[in-house]
Amino acid sequence: MTRHTEDDDAGDANGANDRSGDREGGRENPGRGGCGCGEPAPGVPQAGRDEQPSVFVTDGGDVPEADVTDDRDAARTGGESTADRAATDGGVESASGGTESATGGTDSAELDPEAYDPVDVFPGGDLDLREGADSCYKCTSCDTSCPVAEVDDEFPGPKFQGPEQWRLKRKEDHDIDESITSCSNCMRCDDACPSSVPLSQMHNEARGQYVERQMEKLSVEYIRNRILANYRTSASLASMFPRTASFAMNFGPARWAMEKVMGIPKERDFPEFATETFREWWKARGGANVENSDKRVAYFHGCYSNYNTPEVGKALVSVYEHFGYEVMVPPQKCSGTPMFANGMLKDARRHAETNVENLVEAIGEGADVIASCTSCSLSLRQEYPELFDLHGIEDLAEHTFEALEYLRIHENLEGELDAAGGLDDERAFAYHAPCHARNQGLSRQAVETFRDVDGVRMEDVGDSCSGISGTYGWKEEKYEKSMEIGAEMFEHMEDAEGEVGMTECPTCAMQMEHGTGYEIEHPLQLLEEALDA
Amino acid sequence: MDRQVDVVVVGGGSTGCGVVRDLARRGLDTVLVEKGNLTHGTTGRMHGLLHSGGRYAVSDQKSAKECIEENMVLRDIAAHCVEETGGLFVKRPEDSEEYFQEKLEGCKACDIPVEVIDGEEARRREPYLARDVEKAIALPDGAVDPFRLCVSNAADAREHGARIETHAPVTDVLVEDGEVVGVEIEHETGPGKRVHHEPGTTEEIRARHVVNATGAWAGNVGGMAGVDVEVRPSKGVMTVMNTRQVDTVINRCRPKGDADIIVPHETACILGTTDEEVDDPEDYPEEDWEVDLMIETLSELVPALEDARTLRSFWGVRPLYEPPGTGTEDPTDITRDYFLLDHGDRDDLPGMTTIVGGKLTTYRMMAESISDHVCEALGYEATCDTADAPLPGSESEARMAELMDEFGLRSPVARRSGQRLGSRADDVLDEYDPNPIVCNCESVTRAEVQDAIGEAGSDLNAVRLRTRASMGNCQGGFCTHRIAAELAEEYPEPVVRDAEDELYQERWKGQRHALWGEQLSQAMLNHLLHATTMNRDGDPASLDGEVDFGAFDAGPESPDAADTDESGSAGTAAADGGRADDDAATDGGR
Ligand SMILES: Cc1cc2nc3c(=O)[nH]c(=O)nc-3n(C[C@H](O)[C@H](O)[C@H](O)COP(=O)(O)OP(=O)(O)OC[C@H]3O[C@@H](n4cnc5c(N)ncnc54)[C@H](O)[C@@H]3O)c2cc1C
Ligand code: SF4
Ligand code: SF4
Repeated sequence: MTRHTEDDDAGDANGANDRSGDREGGRENPGRGGCGCGEPAPGVPQAGRDEQPSVFVTDGGDVPEADVTDDRDAARTGGESTADRAATDGGVESASGGTESATGGTDSAELDPEAYDPVDVFPGGDLDLREGADSCYKCTSCDTSCPVAEVDDEFPGPKFQGPEQWRLKRKEDHDIDESITSCSNCMRCDDACPSSVPLSQMHNEARGQYVERQMEKLSVEYIRNRILANYRTSASLASMFPRTASFAMNFGPARWAMEKVMGIPKERDFPEFATETFREWWKARGGANVENSDKRVAYFHGCYSNYNTPEVGKALVSVYEHFGYEVMVPPQKCSGTPMFANGMLKDARRHAETNVENLVEAIGEGADVIASCTSCSLSLRQEYPELFDLHGIEDLAEHTFEALEYLRIHENLEGELDAAGGLDDERAFAYHAPCHARNQGLSRQAVETFRDVDGVRMEDVGDSCSGISGTYGWKEEKYEKSMEIGAEMFEHMEDAEGEVGMTECPTCAMQMEHGTGYEIEHPLQLLEEALDA
Repeated sequence: MDRQVDVVVVGGGSTGCGVVRDLARRGLDTVLVEKGNLTHGTTGRMHGLLHSGGRYAVSDQKSAKECIEENMVLRDIAAHCVEETGGLFVKRPEDSEEYFQEKLEGCKACDIPVEVIDGEEARRREPYLARDVEKAIALPDGAVDPFRLCVSNAADAREHGARIETHAPVTDVLVEDGEVVGVEIEHETGPGKRVHHEPGTTEEIRARHVVNATGAWAGNVGGMAGVDVEVRPSKGVMTVMNTRQVDTVINRCRPKGDADIIVPHETACILGTTDEEVDDPEDYPEEDWEVDLMIETLSELVPALEDARTLRSFWGVRPLYEPPGTGTEDPTDITRDYFLLDHGDRDDLPGMTTIVGGKLTTYRMMAESISDHVCEALGYEATCDTADAPLPGSESEARMAELMDEFGLRSPVARRSGQRLGSRADDVLDEYDPNPIVCNCESVTRAEVQDAIGEAGSDLNAVRLRTRASMGNCQGGFCTHRIAAELAEEYPEPVVRDAEDELYQERWKGQRHALWGEQLSQAMLNHLLHATTMNRDGDPASLDGEVDFGAFDAGPESPDAADTDESGSAGTAAADGGRADDDAATDGGR
């Protein structure tokens, strides 16, 4: 059947029961269906791949409107009309309403064949990315920059996995090489490619198809990956009893069992859960302290700053309010990063629907979207529009920024920091730029921001990958590779003067802490301190 | 060498290969001689459409009926050469409705199974079709790999006792007492040719009957025997796209015209074609407007073609024939039927038969009819079984899943090798472990390359045709040297170098017609890589000399080797830009 999201966890959307909870109800409004194909709300700019016909348009130029109410019917007829197809087609399956799509239902494919983008429609609505192979020159920069290929001889590398595998693909075959599950989705290859081959889109889609069609659904690996991918679900449970959870998850015998049964390496410490989540704090605080219809930002905190490091979120709020911004905290779910990395595209899409809807609404109210986690901002900016065709998704991508990046664009950070006069006691940091920051061109922003601040010594520990890549390092079979990849960073950290680590990415932070025992901070925390905000 | 064989077949295209297989299976002692490698002629430069007959359903129903019959036969006997893609005849608003109906009726009259679908359904099957395509006729067109088809036919013939002689042009037809008694061939020498017979020698092959299956060249061979064969060669262009925009054959439903078909072929799509009479099948202009026309006109059917990457273009010549005195003006009006010319009846020269015209799709039927004719001439009784006997390689589906496990191949690689090798996959892949990929773009492994070398010798173009190695994005930029390296164990260095050069040149030849956008960048990257690492930009006049390997790697012969650290830098290449300081003196900055 077509993949319409059953909102099985709608109730636990962040903010379901706080100040902005009433927005939740908005989703029930007619014309704003969860499939994201309804009428745009007033003030919501119209954009998005779903609305742009990308194929040859008749001279008359009119593209028939997708009929929202009829999509289920259309899907059904789609299924029927393909059932009795000619025997002459050589058994090639066409896009039918009857199969599921690994992308999580590019619904428009079933909606109206006149309006869809051909890229969207391999059978079952999977993306056809063969065209992306056209841009590849075989220069091999991608392979050279892949941290997994460097340590894992079995991994064929991004060039094979992306352009080559896709070019060899046929419409009717679904086999994706299993090595796709070894890719950590660090996206360094995507950044390295001089020719804009959509590598990460290719990996994400292939992984989605692989998991959907070829992975044993009851395997321990699948279940473990699904749990890792749905970190938000576990974290929201754990944070109800934060102390017990932090203790129990790291309790020896429990860890031993986790490794044996679930394949989660016992060497890893589970992150601690905060006793008060960011959203609880926000609610208790009474929301924003500054109201300013000219300067608004919608904060996408993601799961980690909410459940584990609310201090990052708090730092963000105080820095932004310092600059006179009205901070909004719309309801939100997981950004999807861990789900992409595990091929759980259906899950990611479900969460994306909530995120896109609420963030687009905030954009309609004049806000830009900022994230404190570089993977979250990358996901909203790049992976969302590459993989899903939700209404407004392109708009969201255009309006999303990383939090420090945004301030560097719009505020005179240097001047403010200068005026604030620096830190009282000198502090030294070993800074690691997350791969996903690199992908957004942000790998030097922390160093550049703080290098002239009195009392701050910041050393970049180099451009290697930390090796954890979200959930990659959380898998027992990948643990050693993960540490091997991270070795260079650990060594450089030890070598650096600072005894405190710094990075924007929460999982990089875990790895940095795990490898060196250092305490790790987020640049926003230092900014808060330096600005006396 | 005075032994007499029953039949010499001249020409290793689809027709000749079909004939030699048929005769060998009937038990005749047969030799095939071909001046290049198999498929050197038109067969290697065609579209790869396994006709359903739809294209001829209005203009030439006899051909259409033959096509659908043979189409079904080939799906059975040559499964590993055929991809059952299905085909569509699509109608745009400006195309005539009347013709659409005529086409439909024509197909029905010829027993071609058809189904009319609306534009929406057509786009459901082929999402890249233009939005204003109104409707389409679906029919069983397919894609056929001419190389594999010919090679399988030749292999089967050899298994039945035939001799297959490639790189051996016929230089004379022997006529004695008013009768053809054999041919003279020359064993070619030169770069990359199969080192097989003594190069440069000639050989007379005496035969009771000679079959001239040289297609567009039939006039030349006829001339050697002193008879006139009026072939009117007509050229057509084909443009190869880097990826498959469509997975079914797309035909434009209109009477006749250039640029009206897209055939998905392996990893690529091939656009075609034109139809222009030329004087010489070897030497005719390859014109840019023809390529532009393909892309422009076919974009009306599949708009994505406009911006998609083009790998290369190539041309082929149709061996069109018409009986003397017909005088058709426009080559597109010349019949696509084939003709069997018995020179005994026709020119009073017994002992030779010429077969010209026709299509690859109907090659087996043509072969059957000429074999019947030859048997009759020789007074030999045997029945033809080629419509039922599967070709080597197609007996059973390759066991894809097992191939992956057994030979450690990644799935798309296993799938593609399985498709190329058919039921031979096990035997071939079994030979090599480890079995690295030699050509990345097309996923061709060492085992397959070595297997092809075993069959084709040092001719790397023949290896390419068998395996598809060097036929992807990079057009050999990243693999010609790796493929050549596979020769190194068996062949001396100059043969290997020449073979590599020849393959690299061949790849460049086709790319000249795609030098814009991505392929231009690719060609430039390839050139510079080869220039810096293999001296490809050197002065041709000085390239022929012996390579002074000592000057490159500071090996034991090098004067400096004595004071070089034995284990360390001894293998450093000159191309490293002088990084290894020990080598600075020997690399000479070249
Ligand atoms: C542009 C184009 C597209 C086509 N598309 C299709 C299609 O999609 N489907 C289809 O079914 N058909 C198609 N055809 C037709 C088909 O390709 C030909 O009919 C068929 O390949 C002819 O094969 P042949 O063996 O008769 O000739 P050839 O393949 O030309 O074989 C003749 C051989 O004789 C050799 N030879 C010549 N002189 C000598 C000599 N002196 N000594 C030894 N050997 C010699 C040549 O090297 C050559 O290999 C197409 C043709 C063209 C031109
Ligand atoms: S995303 Fe990272 S791990 Fe995956 S192929 Fe690219 S560089 Fe390698
Ligand atoms: S970096 Fe880009 S162009 Fe180069 S090989 Fe990788 S995908 Fe191809």
